[in-house]
Amino acid sequence: MRVLIEFVISFLSTVGFGLITNVPRRSLLPAGITGSLAWVAYYLVLQVDPGLILPNFTAAIVIGILGNISAVLFRVPVNIIYVPSLVSLVPGGILYLGMRSFTLGREAPTSQYLFNTLTIAISLAVGFVVAEVIFYRIKPILMKIVTRRQSPSHS
Amino acid sequence: MENPISEDELIATCGKVGKILLTSGAETSRVESTVEYIGKAAHFDISCHATITALFVGTNQQSRTHLVKVRLGDFNLEKVDEINTMSRKFVEGKINFDELKIAINQIDHKVIDFTWSQKIFGAGVVSVAPMLLFKATWADLGLAFFVGIFGYLGAQLAGRRIKTPYVAAGCGGFIVGLLAAALQTVGIATSAGNIIVSALMPLVPGVAITNSFREIVDRNTISGVVRAVDAIIIAGSIGAGVVLGTSLCSLLAHTIGGF
Repeated sequence: MRVLIEFVISFLSTVGFGLITNVPRRSLLPAGITGSLAWVAYYLVLQVDPGLILPNFTAAIVIGILGNISAVLFRVPVNIIYVPSLVSLVPGGILYLGMRSFTLGREAPTSQYLFNTLTIAISLAVGFVVAEVIFYRIKPILMKIVTRRQSPSHS
Repeated sequence: MENPISEDELIATCGKVGKILLTSGAETSRVESTVEYIGKAAHFDISCHATITALFVGTNQQSRTHLVKVRLGDFNLEKVDEINTMSRKFVEGKINFDELKIAINQIDHKVIDFTWSQKIFGAGVVSVAPMLLFKATWADLGLAFFVGIFGYLGAQLAGRRIKTPYVAAGCGGFIVGLLAAALQTVGIATSAGNIIVSALMPLVPGVAITNSFREIVDRNTISGVVRAVDAIIIAGSIGAGVVLGTSLCSLLAHTIGGF
């Protein structure tokens, strides 16, 4: 039940950010599903390992693989899937909290929040790299399915 | 064989393509590869170097280089997609160079946007952050929906009128801080802090900072660092705005309460 609520809310979040950043309409649905599945993965891993690195890393792998697959299927640049589906994972809130403590002149929380931001951003970025490595392994199989429909893209 | 496309025109068009892509929020490696694909399809050996603030396009046969200045812009991913579709059509030979040029000019001038009501709805939904589910109360998340809309609108309207960079983000933060603190003072909201973090989701540069690390991992170090510093300063101005908003609210509460 709880997983379902998380799924729905993160789906709405992703689609909402898609509206703000003007993604093409045909990629709203795949981006939404990618984003919410990544969030569910994050949530499930968080139950096992309550840290920052592993949950974000897993979620980034999910986004990376699903994003690349839907980029091929829906013929959009992969960044268009990445940007909205990242919105619930990215350390924006923590970065804001850090800069607020900075404004208020509190040194210890500033450094802690900024350090957390750095950790999350790096684990997401590394997750994407790993996902892309995995994706290039499965790309030929995917291409075989897609070429039956039309010629492949250069994304 | 006579090449029907003149070198200058090709370089000018490629410069425009790169500029649109960069200002709409594409990654630099993507910009470079798109421009080089177009060059290859036009039978020119084009090389392109993109950083987040400037774009160089030139052919390898001669020494002239075309320089395009770029300013950081907001995300407009639909433009990225349209340019990508056009360049792909050109590479596959479905349209010729003149058609590509016309299409690029159209995309450059066209205002591609969702309607305001859709965007407002989007901002509202983003403001209900999954990060805070089951941590904040449901009533607070519901309030964050509306506070987030006002913050987003404030930032957008300020961004249109004030050209000084970073002021728009500060305005958004100010509105969110003021409203959230006011709601807590009146007694409707339980925790202003939760509402603020949740309602700031459409404004904070979280995606920008993640993209910046993706660029750094991709060895586009300059662009990555520029993006990261920009994101930190945006977050700083939002933070300053929120602090101003909340302190203004408590000041008002004190003055009114003093009577």
